[in-house]
Amino acid sequence: MKIFLRFIPGLLALLLPSSLLPATPVIEIEIRDHLFLPSEVIVPANTKVKLLIKNTDPTPEEFESYELNREKVIGGQSTAVIFIGPLTPGEYPFFGEFHPKTAQGKILAQ
Amino acid sequence: MLLSSALLILQETLEIALLASMLAALSQRLAHRMVWMLFGMFGGFILALLYALNLGTISDWFDYVGQEVANASIQSTLAMFLFLLPWTIFRQSHASIHEAPRTIFPYHLFEIFAAISLMLVIGREGSEIIVYLDGFLQQGGQIKTVLVGSSIGFSIGISAGFLLFYALIELPRKWDIAVPILLLAMFAGNMLSQSSAQLIQADWLPSTPALWDTSGWISENSIMGQLLYALIGYEANPSLIQVAAYVAGAAAVLLAAIIAKYQSARNLPPA
Repeated sequence: MKIFLRFIPGLLALLLPSSLLPATPVIEIEIRDHLFLPSEVIVPANTKVKLLIKNTDPTPEEFESYELNREKVIGGQSTAVIFIGPLTPGEYPFFGEFHPKTAQGKILAQ
Repeated sequence: MLLSSALLILQETLEIALLASMLAALSQRLAHRMVWMLFGMFGGFILALLYALNLGTISDWFDYVGQEVANASIQSTLAMFLFLLPWTIFRQSHASIHEAPRTIFPYHLFEIFAAISLMLVIGREGSEIIVYLDGFLQQGGQIKTVLVGSSIGFSIGISAGFLLFYALIELPRKWDIAVPILLLAMFAGNMLSQSSAQLIQADWLPSTPALWDTSGWISENSIMGQLLYALIGYEANPSLIQVAAYVAGAAAVLLAAIIAKYQSARNLPPA
């Protein structure tokens, strides 16, 4: 019977409401006129981050980054979710593949 | 815009053209008819169109990660068919390879699997081409430049496919089945690796630090990087899961080929 006492703290932890756990930070980026706004995004390092990308242009764009290993097509007037990280501190450029000359930005992990 | 549209269309076309040429080289060597290519291209175009037209709806599935799930599904299914392919190559014993009877269902399983593989890769890569071009058709302004650039990129991609095809069929008899299978194994590994990357992006698989970073040597942004990416699935900074998926996919196809060859050799009639 005493053997099972050691499991009580773990079982009590299951009762913790999930709202007390650290939430994934959400960062919003807008695509407007084939530009990323903001073009420089600061995210906490070593943390998983959720990017919420809103394309307010009527035409689609593709969010792509070789450094982050992420690519996703976002339709016109649509929102997309991309998870990045945990990232070591540094700069991670990204671009819009459909309009690479103008749509450029970078993620700064600090 | 000319250059960027050429590059984008080239990237998508390369993957299609290289897979098509690997399958076509095998098909030629095994004396199959090439009509499966038409079915694959037609089916692929339909699939690409359906995907592109419904991209908005699909992207909203599964809490806004439907696109990643759809991509991963297509790529994993493609990898699975490439795994099944070796079983259709070595099935017959050498004596009967030209005596295959035309039955009620005349298409050899190899041709069916090859057509499906081609359909899946065209569906996946072609949908992006359609979305890209459709965006500029709506916009008006730069459509002429984009179309010219896209044609250039498309032509270069198709040429690369033809180059690979002729290189493969000119191989000496000793290697002309093994080398295409090796290339298909790496392609299957690439498909599973890309699937895992999509699922990591969707947070369905955990993100792990990059195993290596060779972007200093061959950047994914360079021509060599793009070519290697399409041919063997080169990644400058892949995560552990991506590498594991790649190795699993390639190993599965190679093992399938080795086992299928061993089984077929055992079925040879006595000399």
